[in-house]
Amino acid sequence: MKLQELTKIPKVLGAGVAGKDGFIVESQFAVGYDPEKFGAMAARIMNQINKSLKIEASSIILYSPNMVFFARAKGDGIIFAIGNKDANLGLLKIKFDKI
Amino acid sequence: MADELIIDSKALIFATLADVYLSSGMVDEAISILKDGLGRNPNYTLGKIILGRAYYMKGNIDEALKTLEALYPEAKDSENTNLYLARCHKRIGDLDKAAQFYEIVMKINPQNKDARQELDSIAPKPAVASPKAEEPVIETTNLPPTIKEAAVVAVPIMEEPVIVDKKPPVEKIDQPVEPPVKEPVIPIVDTIPQAMLREEIDTEKETLESAPPKTEPQAVEKEPPVTEKPTAVKPEPKPTPEPELTRAERVAEIEKLLGAKAPEEAPVVPPPAKQEKETAKKEEEKAEEVPILPEIGFEIPTAAAAPPVQAAGVSPLDTLKEPMSHLLKLKAVKGAFICSRDGLLIQNSYEAREDIEEIAALIAAICNEADDSFKFLKEGAMEKCIIEKGDESVCVVTAGESLLCIVTKPEAKPGLVFVYARKIIEQIREILG
Repeated sequence: MKLQELTKIPKVLGAGVAGKDGFIVESQFAVGYDPEKFGAMAARIMNQINKSLKIEASSIILYSPNMVFFARAKGDGIIFAIGNKDANLGLLKIKFDKI
Repeated sequence: MADELIIDSKALIFATLADVYLSSGMVDEAISILKDGLGRNPNYTLGKIILGRAYYMKGNIDEALKTLEALYPEAKDSENTNLYLARCHKRIGDLDKAAQFYEIVMKINPQNKDARQELDSIAPKPAVASPKAEEPVIETTNLPPTIKEAAVVAVPIMEEPVIVDKKPPVEKIDQPVEPPVKEPVIPIVDTIPQAMLREEIDTEKETLESAPPKTEPQAVEKEPPVTEKPTAVKPEPKPTPEPELTRAERVAEIEKLLGAKAPEEAPVVPPPAKQEKETAKKEEEKAEEVPILPEIGFEIPTAAAAPPVQAAGVSPLDTLKEPMSHLLKLKAVKGAFICSRDGLLIQNSYEAREDIEEIAALIAAICNEADDSFKFLKEGAMEKCIIEKGDESVCVVTAGESLLCIVTKPEAKPGLVFVYARKIIEQIREILG
């Protein structure tokens, strides 16, 4: 799957595809990380962005003290990935564009 | 001890206040304050003398006579005691006694014009009274130095109401009147001249502190020795009065010392010029006070306190202008603004957009959503985020309760933006916390 392109990037902990309702379509996560939760989170935030900015296609990168969350809305789905704080986000972004 | 002193000082000063009240025509107030003061200090001779005077001024001659006669043994050498006794007797028609007391007054202070005139009015033949009155030099030379000086400095009371005696002069008084007191005259000078009054108050204070009640008049005993001055024998012994304060000022000063409130019927109103001064002073004080912004608790720097570069009234956030300008110099950066987490705009450096407040609110909403999500996942709070949409990106960095939002073109380098943003964030944290 194309999700592997994302998860093979160093320090990327997982990636997935979720619908706008937050249900997981496909995911590939490291052990210990719940894709359902991150899918729900991605849907929640992207819906908020869409509602606020009134745009269909958008992406967001969120930084927390421990991890980075990347999500992009495309069509009816949302593709998202999580990584450690020092993950290569630039590369991750390029891969996202390719997907 | 301190309490006693306070009480004593108040007790001594009430007479002064009463005297001022009397001079201002506030007789009832004077009587009230005197009664109160004498209740605390029943042996205060000066207070009693002024009380007698107050009763006389009120027209209560019986009370005046009662008061003055009661204190006469201890204040028989007081000019005012004798003067008011004379006036009281004159008022009730006892002209003999009145003349006697006037004579004593003239003996104590030959310069007392009031006593002279009043004596003349009841004894029209000046040949009898004047020779006695015109022996001041002989009399004063026999007096102790302090007394001489007091006699010279004493000033006739000016504020006294003029008593029109319609009775014809009695012929009995043609006979020479012998003064009842033959011993050396020791005057207790009271009222009007402030220096004299203060001196007496001081003396009385000492007396009250040291001596038992009901003793000989101690005013002279306690006074410090005064060197004899040649002015005592001068033909024109003009008093050297202190620069006199206005009545209102005196009242205010004394009330300040007393800590007492003036009676309601006659409030002491400072003169308009003084009031204006006070208001101007208050306004100046107000102007000097540094206003504090209630929202953030920052003091607006005044001209004295502010650094020389900053003008008065400059917002502390203006210090962010410089790093913000560096950020805005980046080609891909469209603008930036600072808002709070609840979506309210704090500072705007994105003048081109008119809907910046709306954007601030929307971005705050997104950030709050992301923050909640992170907290739900127990991953801490959101630090920063990049929101990408078609035609532009928004980089948001949190700084406490504030959000720094940088709007960039899609081709902007977010890493570079964050480098510049970090510097601004540090300053925001310093200013806004």
